[in-house]
Amino acid sequence: MTAITRIAREEWRLWLRSKTVVAAALIVVALLTATSVLTVHRIASEQSQRLEQQVAAEQTFFAQPDRHPHRMVHYGHYAFRPPPPLAMFEPGVDAVTGQSIFLEGHRQNTAMFADTKAAADLGGFAALTPAGLYQLLLPLLLIVLGHALFLRERESGTLAVMLAQGQSGVKLALGKATALLVVIAIFMIPLIAVAAYSVSLGESALAAFSLVGGYFAYLCIWGAIVLTASVILKQRAVSLGVLIFIWLFAALIVPRFAINASSVAIDAPGKIESDLVMLAEQRKLGDGHNAADPAFQRLQDQVLKQYDVETIEELPINWRGVVASYSEAELTELLNDYTEKRMGLEASQSRMFEWFGLASPTISVSSLSRALAGTDLATHHRFLRESEVLRFDFVQSLNQAHAEKLDYTTDINRNNDAASAQRARINSASWQVLDEFRFAPDSASKRLGRTALSLGILIMWLLLACVIVLLTARRVRV
Amino acid sequence: MMLRNFAREIRFLSKDRGALFWLALSFILSVIAVSFGVTEVREQRETIANLIEEDAADRANALEGQEDWGSAAYYAFHFTYAPPSDFAFAAMGQRDSTPWKHRVRMLALEAQIHEADTRNADFGLVGRFDFAFLAASVVPLLLILLLYDLRASERSASRHDFLVATAGSSLSLWFPRALVRVAGLALLLLVPLWVASLIAGASGMVTLQATGIVVGALAVWWLIVELVSRIKASPSVLLTSLIGLWLALAIVVPALSKAVIETNNPIPDGGEILLLQRETVNDAWDLPKEATMKPFIETHPEWREYAEIEEGFEWKWYYAFQQVGDQKAAPLVEQYREARLRRDRQAGIAALLSPTSFVERAFEKLAGTDAVSMIAYEDEVRDFHAELRAFHYPLMFPEKDYDSGLLAELPLYKPES
Repeated sequence: MTAITRIAREEWRLWLRSKTVVAAALIVVALLTATSVLTVHRIASEQSQRLEQQVAAEQTFFAQPDRHPHRMVHYGHYAFRPPPPLAMFEPGVDAVTGQSIFLEGHRQNTAMFADTKAAADLGGFAALTPAGLYQLLLPLLLIVLGHALFLRERESGTLAVMLAQGQSGVKLALGKATALLVVIAIFMIPLIAVAAYSVSLGESALAAFSLVGGYFAYLCIWGAIVLTASVILKQRAVSLGVLIFIWLFAALIVPRFAINASSVAIDAPGKIESDLVMLAEQRKLGDGHNAADPAFQRLQDQVLKQYDVETIEELPINWRGVVASYSEAELTELLNDYTEKRMGLEASQSRMFEWFGLASPTISVSSLSRALAGTDLATHHRFLRESEVLRFDFVQSLNQAHAEKLDYTTDINRNNDAASAQRARINSASWQVLDEFRFAPDSASKRLGRTALSLGILIMWLLLACVIVLLTARRVRV
Repeated sequence: MMLRNFAREIRFLSKDRGALFWLALSFILSVIAVSFGVTEVREQRETIANLIEEDAADRANALEGQEDWGSAAYYAFHFTYAPPSDFAFAAMGQRDSTPWKHRVRMLALEAQIHEADTRNADFGLVGRFDFAFLAASVVPLLLILLLYDLRASERSASRHDFLVATAGSSLSLWFPRALVRVAGLALLLLVPLWVASLIAGASGMVTLQATGIVVGALAVWWLIVELVSRIKASPSVLLTSLIGLWLALAIVVPALSKAVIETNNPIPDGGEILLLQRETVNDAWDLPKEATMKPFIETHPEWREYAEIEEGFEWKWYYAFQQVGDQKAAPLVEQYREARLRRDRQAGIAALLSPTSFVERAFEKLAGTDAVSMIAYEDEVRDFHAELRAFHYPLMFPEKDYDSGLLAELPLYKPES
């Protein structure tokens, strides 16, 4: 047995004898188990529920009777975002954003019914998730376990003996580090289990195990910080106090501070605000409901020329459908322009938040964890984009049906009497234009790519922390 | 005697670098928290002022050239909002995750009121560093760090018994020492809050209540620290136990209560409200007109004589089925609202078990950023929407001649608070 493993063993023996340490570890294990089981259940049921809702929404759409096609444009459709498998570890922003969205013509709606809106409000920490426990609680456990790792030898006078026997400070530190590493490894087991389970549910192994790696690095950073404190500081209570202050700073203060700072630094307008600016522009484009709008004069000339006819009545296609399709396309382009701008600003806010990882590894690991799990802001934005594509496609297909399958004269006379209204309908087979929508997270490599900044910062933290441990350990004197 | 004790303790404190550090830190954090809060409230006010203007311009534009009441109502959106209160700088509460602004029109309200124009989702997820968070979660830790080793450090310096013997009573020794620290902490936290309250124009009564909450919470945590530190143990064991208690009270109890409350009070799936409303409104197009007008007349008997729909399309029929859509969804909406309120009421009771949750909720209540306030805002939007209907129905149903001049009387949203 080498000196290092002997030192590590001795450390473990002492821990197992300490009531405080055992109690703290058991409490963390209990919390971790309870939270994991609850979250896995919740996410599993949400996942199947959303999938069912998506299928039901499609079937209701298909099952609609013969109708005027524009009625279906307003009847609309729903897009649901089922949580990805790793959400059972890291539910991320899903609770805040709402996971369903109503899609209809001429409008881009927001995702609605966020869980937080109806949640029991018990303050900032009440929404406990397995990821949250790893980010907040495990560093605290490492602090409780390790704040006196090195110090103890100093206090009991064994340090002098060991150094006199020719053991170097570095070797001693490596022994202590090994002991702490074993603790970290043991506490990784629940995460590894969840990761493996998520892989069995179809998650990519690359994403799942990068997540494991990220948290392992994060906990190692804390381990190194704890070890350093116990080497440098001469009193237990001081070491513990300083470490708790670092934790308080990194885990509680900096993340929220970073949110405030990025909100102040980058002003992202809300949807209503950017919509209002856009509406002024939209009015210049004309209203899709009113085919006589002067803004459509040019379109009319062009279409008449294309079909070589004099009046819109002579057109082989329904002029109202053409107008609807034209203005939907124009409007969507405009809407997307503004939406992209808004999302871009939000993304740069989150980017700035990520940079605060330089002051707190907790920020880096949480950004990394959301990105890898597919529950970050970028994934939400992608959901909004994809559901917008879905919306535009079905609305335009219906507009096309409006132009091609419904006669213009029948259409404008639809309000004359019940029989005319009956005639101004198209066959419900046309509703099959709706695409099947199954939202899935990005590919693992793409998600991993998104974590570059956080991962880089995390690795930098890890290297820095290890170097400092070694440097301080080399200088250990009695 | 007591005064001398305090003078002595203040002198001691001025030499205790550790304690001075914690005290200075709490002052800096408090300044940061309230400055961010004041800036955020100012920004939200500016946004609202801006939106009121833009909204009016947009509406004027939309109403121009309209030729009947129906289209005028169809194209005119109305901005509704809940302005941040004068004390909102201290607790942003639900304003980051629940919408506080809408633009509604006379169509079915249920399709509009659940729109969520909230900010960057990361904000709602991580939360802000506001005064409420500082006072509820961070300050207890600072207090623990400030007080845990008052006794233990003397004990480890082997002066404890000697000091107690000389001081005569344990009370006259430890009480002034701790009190000086707690009072210092309270003062350094509260001064920035008071200054910010003055700047933001918060009422003295609210500031006084907030002060009371902070002082009360400090007293509770002081008592906890005091009781724990009577245990004869080393400072590090004491600190570990205190941190454990903080964890239990700040994280475990709230999380547990939340889980229990939410399981016991299931909430109707919001999507169902929307679905029911949409089906009702869309089915109406294909149903005989009476199927819409009958339920409409039941709630609006005053329009009975104008409820005959003769044409294929009439605006009053259109708005009637919008109204009926809302009516159909009303029971579900009420269930949703009730469940939210019930959860919040129970959370209020559960918060008695956790000083952290209690302080946070109490601040949100004072700041008007709690769930009840957000629901009250939604109620105001509902009332306003009802006003819109009450304005248009008497014009639309008797089919009065369109007069754009009358639209100057359109109801304007005015927040109650």
